[in-house]
Amino acid sequence: MTDVGPDLIARGPVLREPANRVSPQAIPFWTVSALMGDAVLVAGAVLVWLLVPGVPGWAGLVVLLLAVAAAAHVVLMPRIRYRVHRWEVTDTAVHTREGWIGRETRIAPISRVQTVDSRQGALMRLFGLASITVTTASAAGPITVDCLDAETARQVVAQLTAITAATEDDAT
Amino acid sequence: MIPEPGEGYVRLSPRKLLLDPVKAVGQMVVPVVIALVGISRSDTQFWPIILPLVVIGPLVLGALPWLTTHYRLTGTQIQVRSGVLNKTTSTAPLDRVRSVDLEASLLHRVLGLQKVQIGTGVDDDRITLDALAAPDAQALRTTLLTRRAVAAQAATAPVDGGRAADRTDVPWSEQAVAPVVPPPPPAAPAVLLARIDWSWLRFAPFSLGRLVLLVGGLGVLSQVADELPIWNEETATSAWTWLTQFAVAAIVLVLAVGALALWLIVSVAGYVLQWWNFRLVREHGSLHLTSGLVTTRSITVEEAKVRGVEITEPVLMRVVGGAELSTLATGVEDGVTQVLPPCPRGVAVAVGEAVLDRPGPLTERLVEHGPTARRRAWFRQLRNALEVIVLLAVGWWWFELTWWWLVAVGGALLVLAAAAGEATYRHLGHALSADHLVAGGGTFARIRTVLETDGIIGWVVSQSWWQRRIGLADLTATTAAGAERVLVRDVRLDVAVALADRATPGLLTDFVEPARTPA
Repeated sequence: MTDVGPDLIARGPVLREPANRVSPQAIPFWTVSALMGDAVLVAGAVLVWLLVPGVPGWAGLVVLLLAVAAAAHVVLMPRIRYRVHRWEVTDTAVHTREGWIGRETRIAPISRVQTVDSRQGALMRLFGLASITVTTASAAGPITVDCLDAETARQVVAQLTAITAATEDDAT
Repeated sequence: MIPEPGEGYVRLSPRKLLLDPVKAVGQMVVPVVIALVGISRSDTQFWPIILPLVVIGPLVLGALPWLTTHYRLTGTQIQVRSGVLNKTTSTAPLDRVRSVDLEASLLHRVLGLQKVQIGTGVDDDRITLDALAAPDAQALRTTLLTRRAVAAQAATAPVDGGRAADRTDVPWSEQAVAPVVPPPPPAAPAVLLARIDWSWLRFAPFSLGRLVLLVGGLGVLSQVADELPIWNEETATSAWTWLTQFAVAAIVLVLAVGALALWLIVSVAGYVLQWWNFRLVREHGSLHLTSGLVTTRSITVEEAKVRGVEITEPVLMRVVGGAELSTLATGVEDGVTQVLPPCPRGVAVAVGEAVLDRPGPLTERLVEHGPTARRRAWFRQLRNALEVIVLLAVGWWWFELTWWWLVAVGGALLVLAAAAGEATYRHLGHALSADHLVAGGGTFARIRTVLETDGIIGWVVSQSWWQRRIGLADLTATTAAGAERVLVRDVRLDVAVALADRATPGLLTDFVEPARTPA
């Protein structure tokens, strides 16, 4: 699978996808996060529709459309995202791909990595997940690997810190 | 006699004793005058108390910083002590000194003083010495920049005898730190890269940066105009009848010509004030810029930290063949430093090539991104215009205005969007030339960004849904220099990957897969 659309074949080499998928637990995690956000939105719209007097008839249709879109988002987004999100750490570089409508591929050489952070929110802990963020000297360069299972995240952080500690450079 | 601070520390210029009181008086003149007037009306018996306070107060306030601020240069560091009750000591290792900027306001210049700011690459943490005598400030700058080079050399190789360099130009440093100073290397001669040419003044009106100032000024003026006697109601009504009798077009014309004349004066005056006596010099491995008529500036950028340049041709300047040049550097407070005033494109290119040390990246033809990218550029601009038109249409429908206006405005917007789309595509392009990544961009301004490939510290390939349909991508090279990213927009995905692979050999090798053959 490449990133080129169906009607166009790339005439040169393209990037292959990174080797590893994120944790399967990411699907329920993303579903729950999306559900929480969308539920608030739809509930707000329904409340406005019910409480504001004299709303025109088509407002109900708008609320219905919003609810359908939210449902589609909650069902489809996590599954598509799980297929897209991938990551790989080699001895020389960090490579990730993310997105669900668009695609974003990031590559940074390990010799230029400055900090390695791992983060675990309350909801992520519930699903046994953790994220890793690798920063370089550029504000445009941070690479986040979302939703690894916590154990893998620990190993990757240890691996990255070991490699970066071995390189001596001011990384600019 | 006031005791010397000792331990090799030296004071700022004694003329600071004049500078600070004058500054203090300048700030306090209004309240002091009010106080004096108030007192002179009442009893005069307080005068013997008040007058000494008014005279001595500023003197003491001015003397305190001079008495308590000391600085010294050791073999490896510059140290500044200051403060009356809270003593602070700022220390910067010499090999971390990235920039030494000199600045002098009108008052500084009358007194022959200069303010020295030493940047160490840490954001917002600059050591300021306000003020030194101008020759001392120059000498300190020279010493800091040459020592930095020495310190950098010392880190890699032992310093050999550079004692030949004669340093009579730094009297303050001899008494202060002569025993611990490592011998500086013989200074390379300064090379003049550019100096002001007053024929460049023709570009001033085409550079719109100062328009904001002018509009602000007009705002203030309109406030004042209310107070003017000519604008009472009678003159206003008679002026109105007069106005309706004559052609409105004539009034508009006069206003337009007036505004244009005002703009000419403001832009030219601003250019002269800012770029008077402009010189760009390369010395001690740094680029050194000096300019200014009233307030003089002196900016130093270390060349080892310059990772690239950016040449900008705003749409109006393009018409008259002008351009501006900035350097992209790492580790300075603001990575993008404008090093040339608006000047002919040829000059900007020549200086840019001198900074890059190689010809090519600034003049080479860029690789075009092809018809799909052109379609994309048009589509993007037209979509923006359509969004605005829809918003306008809603407004028109709400306020029940005539549709004729909407059609006219919408048509104008669409034409503008088409022009913008075509211009965007024409500016688009990329190249890899002599170890430099070149990216062309900009909507109305033509911007060419050149970045040393050594300065690239990562890649981002992003594709929106639309871009995926037609196989295009935005390629971003991340860097620590300048704006911290260089964007190659709407390039074919395989071309983007090939470009990234060639720019940073080895980094992508593991991740590249060969093209699939068409089934």
